[in-house]
Amino acid sequence: MGMSSGKGGGRTTMAEINVTPMVDVMLVLLIIFMVTAPLIQQGVKVNLPTTKAQPVEAADKKLVLSIDINKKVFIGEVEIPLAELEEKLKANAKLQAEKELYLHADRDLPYGIVVDVMAAAQKAGVTNLGMVTDPMGTPKASDKK
Amino acid sequence: MKPLVSALLFLVAVPALAQQTVIEISGAHFRPMPMALPVPLAQDDGAKAVAAEFDSALFFDLQACGLFQVLDRKSYLADSKEGVTAATITFQNWLNVGAETLIKTQLSKDGDTLRADLRLFNVNAGREELKASEAAPAKDARRLAHKLANAVYKHFTKETGPFESRIAFVRKTAGGKDVYLADWDGKNAAAVSSGNINVLPAVAPDRSVAFTSYKRGKPELFLGRAGGDSTPLVANGRMVAGVDFSPDGKRIAYSVSDGENAEIYVANADGSGATKVTDTKYFLNSSPCFSPDGKKLAFVSNRGGSPQVYVMNADGSDVKRLTFQGNYNQTPAWSPRGDLIAFTARDERNAFDLFTVEVATGKVKRLTQDTKNNEEPSFSPNGRLILFTSTRGGSKSLYVMTFDGNNQIALPLDKGDYTTPDWGP
Repeated sequence: MGMSSGKGGGRTTMAEINVTPMVDVMLVLLIIFMVTAPLIQQGVKVNLPTTKAQPVEAADKKLVLSIDINKKVFIGEVEIPLAELEEKLKANAKLQAEKELYLHADRDLPYGIVVDVMAAAQKAGVTNLGMVTDPMGTPKASDKK
Repeated sequence: MKPLVSALLFLVAVPALAQQTVIEISGAHFRPMPMALPVPLAQDDGAKAVAAEFDSALFFDLQACGLFQVLDRKSYLADSKEGVTAATITFQNWLNVGAETLIKTQLSKDGDTLRADLRLFNVNAGREELKASEAAPAKDARRLAHKLANAVYKHFTKETGPFESRIAFVRKTAGGKDVYLADWDGKNAAAVSSGNINVLPAVAPDRSVAFTSYKRGKPELFLGRAGGDSTPLVANGRMVAGVDFSPDGKRIAYSVSDGENAEIYVANADGSGATKVTDTKYFLNSSPCFSPDGKKLAFVSNRGGSPQVYVMNADGSDVKRLTFQGNYNQTPAWSPRGDLIAFTARDERNAFDLFTVEVATGKVKRLTQDTKNNEEPSFSPNGRLILFTSTRGGSKSLYVMTFDGNNQIALPLDKGDYTTPDWGP
């Protein structure tokens, strides 16, 4: 501003669109996608929601976060108190490299707890969240375990 | 629909986890191997008392050597009492924190002897790949850890690790400056000199230390040992400073100043048979440093107008200027691998930073930047690491980094003022 203090400098038109706020908004969005269950072999036993949506097939060795019907949260098969979840995920090098987490939550859970966990995951740096579901018409993975 | 598309793309982009045993140390594709290193399991109360010391030494070695990314312990999922054999380890829990290598250690104490067992696992394969056991007096818990760290280093690189080597450095004391000899991490330091001003140490292959001392008024060279007395090495009434041992320990090089100029001399290791190898009236020649084969010397000279790094044969023939950038280049250190010379340069903002120059091509590479002053490089015996001083944390202290400037990390030293480190065998 100091540089433009000349004649007629008061009424210039700003011709550019400022994209910074828009980029900010885009970056906070969590990318969510659906994953078929049979390919997710680890995790504790939960009854997954069934869906008709076209799922993404997940490869092996993904980081899976499970919430069972008793609202207990697990990374892999290790129970983590919800209060410590964010810190645990923040320190996790796999998650920080991949920025990706697969949520394996029981279908009868209250919406609130799922959102709490998703918020913790997002704060810890997750940008891609896979919602693990059972595709309709296939046997449940959780039944096989 | 859009999120779904990005998800698909993302899945395609995830690379397959590489499964290699020998770590490629240099090159553009180098990536430190993610390693989980849970705290050692102490089998008894005696082992418990020294477990923290052992642990901190092992953790520092593996973290500072530049080969590994030692994973944050806060992320670990496995129970701290998990067993140490492949059959009792749930490898999925280690995969889930991103580990490719897992190291488990067990400590036990019998009388005064501390025994450490280390097992190294390939996490992807769920397989034990290395088992090493060592014992040492309990007071040497850190050195026991260094020994095991070397076993891990050798497993991955097929090279001898630097963790059992010694370094010398100068530390400011109440009454002056003293020379110390310490483990590679700066711990277990023992004084080599006592009182007055003593600087510029050089470690000989037998771990005796030569240094420049002002205790008789003029700078002279003395030779001492950790915790022992020192004796005059080159003390002929002239001003003598900055000594270096040839790699075989049979010769020394140093500079002698006579008022207007300073010249480099090469002598036998006991100071006898000194030969003047530079002769440039009105100019300074200093900081000599032997090449790994002992046939050449790198040194600093201002014969071209400003201090620059030069290379010559150890008899003074065939002098070549090596650095042409900048107007203040000093403290050359020749890599034991032979290919690089590290040096300190003052840049256009009057900050000191470290660079390397390729001996064959003269190609210069910057190693440090925007971290206050970084000076006085010294290579590890295997040429993979560089020890140096930095003022980034306030007072001058010792830091270590890889030869290409990565993984810069402070030595775990007590607060103080540390200068002129030299990395010995």
